[in-house]
Amino acid sequence: MIKFFLSHSWKKFSRSVSFGKEMTTTLFLAFLGVMLVGYALALGFGLNHIIIKGLKIDDSVTFLNGLLLYYFGFEFVLRFFFQTLPVLDAQPYLHLPVKKSGIVHYLLIKSMLNVINLLPLLLFAPFAFVAIAPVYGTLAAWIWLPGIWLTGIMFHYLVILFKKELDDSIWGLIILIGLFVLFGAIDYYGWFKLSDVSAFMFTAFITQPLFILIPIALSTGVYFLCYYFFRQGMYIEGMSRQKNDLYGVTKDISFLNSFGNIGAWINLELKLILRNKRPRNIFYLSLFFLSYGLAFYTRKQYAEDMPGFLLFVSTFVTGTFMINYGQFLFSWQGGHFDFTLTQPVSIRNYVEAKYWLLCSVTIICSVLSVPYVYFGWQILAMQLAAAAFNLGINVFIILNMAMWEPKKMDLKKSTVFNYQGVGAAQWLMGFPILLGPYVFYLPFSLTGYSNVGILAVGLAGVIGIVFRKKFLAITTNRLIEKRYVIAANFRKEG
Amino acid sequence: MISIKDLKKEYKGTTVVDVTELTIAQGESFGLVGNNGAGKTTLFRMILDLIKPTSGEVQISGKNVQTTDEWKKYTGSFLDENFLISYLTPDEYFKFVGQLHGYSDADLKNFYAVFEELFNGEIQGKTKYLGDLSKGNLKKAGVAAAFMGNPQVVVLDEPFENLDPTSQIRLKDLLKQLQRERNITYLISSHDLNHVTELCNRIVILEKGQVIKDLKGSSNILTELEEYFKA
Repeated sequence: MIKFFLSHSWKKFSRSVSFGKEMTTTLFLAFLGVMLVGYALALGFGLNHIIIKGLKIDDSVTFLNGLLLYYFGFEFVLRFFFQTLPVLDAQPYLHLPVKKSGIVHYLLIKSMLNVINLLPLLLFAPFAFVAIAPVYGTLAAWIWLPGIWLTGIMFHYLVILFKKELDDSIWGLIILIGLFVLFGAIDYYGWFKLSDVSAFMFTAFITQPLFILIPIALSTGVYFLCYYFFRQGMYIEGMSRQKNDLYGVTKDISFLNSFGNIGAWINLELKLILRNKRPRNIFYLSLFFLSYGLAFYTRKQYAEDMPGFLLFVSTFVTGTFMINYGQFLFSWQGGHFDFTLTQPVSIRNYVEAKYWLLCSVTIICSVLSVPYVYFGWQILAMQLAAAAFNLGINVFIILNMAMWEPKKMDLKKSTVFNYQGVGAAQWLMGFPILLGPYVFYLPFSLTGYSNVGILAVGLAGVIGIVFRKKFLAITTNRLIEKRYVIAANFRKEG
Repeated sequence: MISIKDLKKEYKGTTVVDVTELTIAQGESFGLVGNNGAGKTTLFRMILDLIKPTSGEVQISGKNVQTTDEWKKYTGSFLDENFLISYLTPDEYFKFVGQLHGYSDADLKNFYAVFEELFNGEIQGKTKYLGDLSKGNLKKAGVAAAFMGNPQVVVLDEPFENLDPTSQIRLKDLLKQLQRERNITYLISSHDLNHVTELCNRIVILEKGQVIKDLKGSSNILTELEEYFKA
């Protein structure tokens, strides 16, 4: 049975419309993965040496154990952003003589194939045998390492559970942020020392081998909790849209209707965003990323030593929605592209509606990020330049990139089992957009005129805004040319 | 109203549609029948400019559908679920399509009056999204929307499929009535020979993309069709 699932997963991947495109990203990701593995392994071998020689700490074992909780915190964040829910479109199998429990176990176990789960082994295996085994004995090393690995596995399933159950609401994000603030506060105010707790917990594996039973029990427990929830979701009704929760609040914005067809399309797209889980999450996420600036603008060293880096932050803060939603700009409405083509609207209106939607949200984000002026006028200037660049240049890059072999988004099945996750691949597509401003910035900043560079970025944006009609016309013509290919792609499933 | 010239569609060397000449007059009810894979939907999609023909062209009211948009104003169509917006309620959908056609509230009210019986209280005023409706109700909503904007041409793919018997009869009567009142040109494909012969005064059989038979006006079309499909 597992053989069939594996072969079906592979076929789904290799026969999909964007196989070539995904292949490139997959290769790139694989390359990144190999690099990561290499670095982790190198770090792992050097770990003991670094602690003893570099940090001048004698008891490297207790010290490392004290850091492990922080490590798991970092790992959790990594998992939260890069780990996607295990996916298998289970519906076609439900009526076949296949055990439902088998499907769920397959999904859950397959999900373990993840570089992040390899990370603790790479980092700490050398340490276990270099530092722990000689002092505390081989048995201790053999207990300590699996203990850590199993703790990681526990977090692995915890993240799956977390994403599956709380992903639909903004509560997931709030809880996560709350937890981190709590732990940060504990550490900062010194109510008790996290490192002591950590050292106590993980040193226990070394002193008493039987403590290994705790992570075994915990990870098994979380696994079966996952199993329980996934098993519950194995009904068709659990896979379709469940609630009509946002129906009431997502009425037309009547003011938009005064803009004719363009306004009508924007109203339609707003409903799409607010009523469907995935675009809604992107929307929430871009609100969250507005605060991204706090992480960077507050640091003096960025402002003084590498102001160029902050340009990247500005582009991101003002343009997250544009970048994240925009990559799939046409895919979101892929389910009714045939409808769009047969209605009495010009493609130009359709493209313009999308243009204005992206621009309005970008303008709103830019206005909301004005308070960053608190960290200096320089920051505000950079934000404005980045916003102009997003509105004048990036929006057209996105509009045109989104026409590149788009795939239909399955909005209807977007709950439980069909989460086409926001993983690393989508973030990669953002690179040309985020690097664009540097084409204008670097020539000036490298010759010592970084302020002129920022001005150049802003100016490029303004020029784009001024000539928007021309760019819109080019974009429209491209869409008209590509309409048959795009429509054919959208008629295929996934 | 509609004229097709040397229309051909090939996929990787296989010809799916190959229609040398076909003219459909204004007010004609044109029925298209044929077994699975005969090319009915592909032909409809080319008429609606959703698929690019390998060669040849389709004209509606003398205008090439590939190069103009004019025809979209007076051509209503419903082929499949790609013509519906899954995240809207039926009411919102009708309102949206109405908006694109410049409907006033009164127009919308008239529209509902015409389809009230077919909707049978299961579509208007509901808060269920189209994506969650049953296939039968989806069909009704899609077919109804095809009549928005007072079209002169209406293209429907399998309008009776998935409908319960009562709805099938109601839809058939409604389509007839609308045509009587508005002189609409119909292009309808169906596997139900009884319905299609009752509704259409001209029936074309498509086989492997080619027009095999073009039956007009005679009283025994149904028998001829049954003869053909028996073989």
